Amino acid sequence: MTVNNTIAHQRLILSGDRERFKELLRRRLIECGWRDQIRMVCREIVKEHDSNSITLDMLVARVTPRARALVPDPVKKELLQKIKTHLLTQKNL
Amino acid sequence: MNDTGCLHLSNFKAAKGSSPYKIVHAFFVASTSYEARRYKATSCLCFSCGQPGPRLHSCLHCIYFACYGGHIQEHSKNKKHFLYVDLSYGNVFCAQCQDYIYDRELTDISRSNRVLEAKSLGISVPYTPWLPNGNEVMALKRLRKRRLISPHTTIGLRGLQNLGSTCFMNCIVQTLIHTPLLRDYFLGERHKCKTQGSGKCLVCEVSKLFQEFYSGAKTPLTLHRLLHLIWTHARHLAGYEQQDAHEFFIATLDVLHRHCMNGVEETEKKEKDRCNCIIDQIFTGGLQSDVVCTSCSGVSTTIDPFWDISLDVAGPGSLQACLERFTRAEHLGSAAKIKCSNCRAYRESTKQLTLETLPIVASFHLKRFEHSSQIDRKISAFVSFPAELDMTPFMSTHRRAVDAADNNNDPEGLFEDNRYSLFAVVNHLGSLDAGHYTAYVRQMKGSWFKCDDHMITRASLREVLDSEGYLLFYHKTVLEYECDVP
Repeated sequence: MTVNNTIAHQRLILSGDRERFKELLRRRLIECGWRDQIRMVCREIVKEHDSNSITLDMLVARVTPRARALVPDPVKKELLQKIKTHLLTQKNL
Repeated sequence: MNDTGCLHLSNFKAAKGSSPYKIVHAFFVASTSYEARRYKATSCLCFSCGQPGPRLHSCLHCIYFACYGGHIQEHSKNKKHFLYVDLSYGNVFCAQCQDYIYDRELTDISRSNRVLEAKSLGISVPYTPWLPNGNEVMALKRLRKRRLISPHTTIGLRGLQNLGSTCFMNCIVQTLIHTPLLRDYFLGERHKCKTQGSGKCLVCEVSKLFQEFYSGAKTPLTLHRLLHLIWTHARHLAGYEQQDAHEFFIATLDVLHRHCMNGVEETEKKEKDRCNCIIDQIFTGGLQSDVVCTSCSGVSTTIDPFWDISLDVAGPGSLQACLERFTRAEHLGSAAKIKCSNCRAYRESTKQLTLETLPIVASFHLKRFEHSSQIDRKISAFVSFPAELDMTPFMSTHRRAVDAADNNNDPEGLFEDNRYSLFAVVNHLGSLDAGHYTAYVRQMKGSWFKCDDHMITRASLREVLDSEGYLLFYHKTVLEYECDVP
């Protein structure tokens, strides 16, 4: 992370905008059914193992690639667009 | 998985309590104040490698920040500090159990911090699903009967007998029964009535109706008690002739709104002179009227509550076009001068109506019946209406922003979501004096039914959208949650 990036990042946290964007992302992922899909994927993986033998780390390692691939393009686009516009307007201040 | 934590966490809590978790959480997981965000922005870096991740954790014993890429594990091993908190999600990892552990007390702390965080950011509170309390768990155990709702279920659908030209009432009742938020209110038995069993309260009657609709029985219902109650409380509707469904809808809301006062809780809950009853919470919006004086450009603004919007149908061709015309600035002309408080004289002015606040259910009345001194007629002009409607263009804030050519990139406005979905359509068939009403209702997402008195038949969305349309009902797609915590 470069110095500029760090400052931008810190500013996003300080203003609360990072949480706002996160909340927006969360809502979009719920709306489009992504969260339910991932829940099903997790359930399948847990079922494959004996109960209690699976840890969160194992689950995360197996789910992450699929979970990332399942995020719909419009969601990515909307977030990218909004963050970009937001950072550019901030720069002008 | 349980929420009773583990032995190691219990020992830790016995020695230090839950405050280390509470403080770390309030500052670095869900920052509950500007001050907390300042700390989070500047100090969330791994003490070992200086990176902001991957998955930064904080040691619960000595508040040492380190990443999950090896450094937090290293710290834990060297110092024998076994508990650490994930700073993104607030979960606690126990190195002795080698997994994340869940503890009810910590979960409660986390939840209340999330609410405070949302308040501090001015965004709506994260939705928390219903969890049964002690009594409810007992009740669920005692009552073993369960009903599985499948995607093809027809539960909630029942025909209504025609009591002699009462189709106007039947279609409004079908609409109300299929209003999602109203259904949740009544099936949740939220109306606790002071007039218990007097048979005079319309809200109680509707409450009973919901039970009948969802009982699983399939025979058509007879609404004689409801009809009688409305006749008693809205005298102008009494009698056996055909009535206007729109007029009946408004009268019913009015009686329901008045009878909500019978509720135990609802009388006390009045905010700023605004009624907070379930009818107002769902159906009331605010209509803003701006009158601009053409001489001095002074604006006089008034806001009035509304339950529905009546739209002229001659001309436009689509619901959006009707709304566009409804919210357009209109020159009042020289014949209708209005006294300008600024100029202290009667001036020509323009008037513009916009929506200041949107109701959860937006009801549109297409003015298909024209009553004038010369002629009464029905206008059957085609007006298309969408299944999904965005109301943003018709709102006061949006209209202002357009006028000022001001781009709204403010992240505060990120969550403004004014999308609506169609859930009921009332149609008038036939002529002015010999007509019949039917309703289309959405029972579940994408599942439509036609209600023609006692007959209920499956319908397609296409069929609904191709129908003429007299009353159109839209439900807000995304609901915002307010918090109860002071």
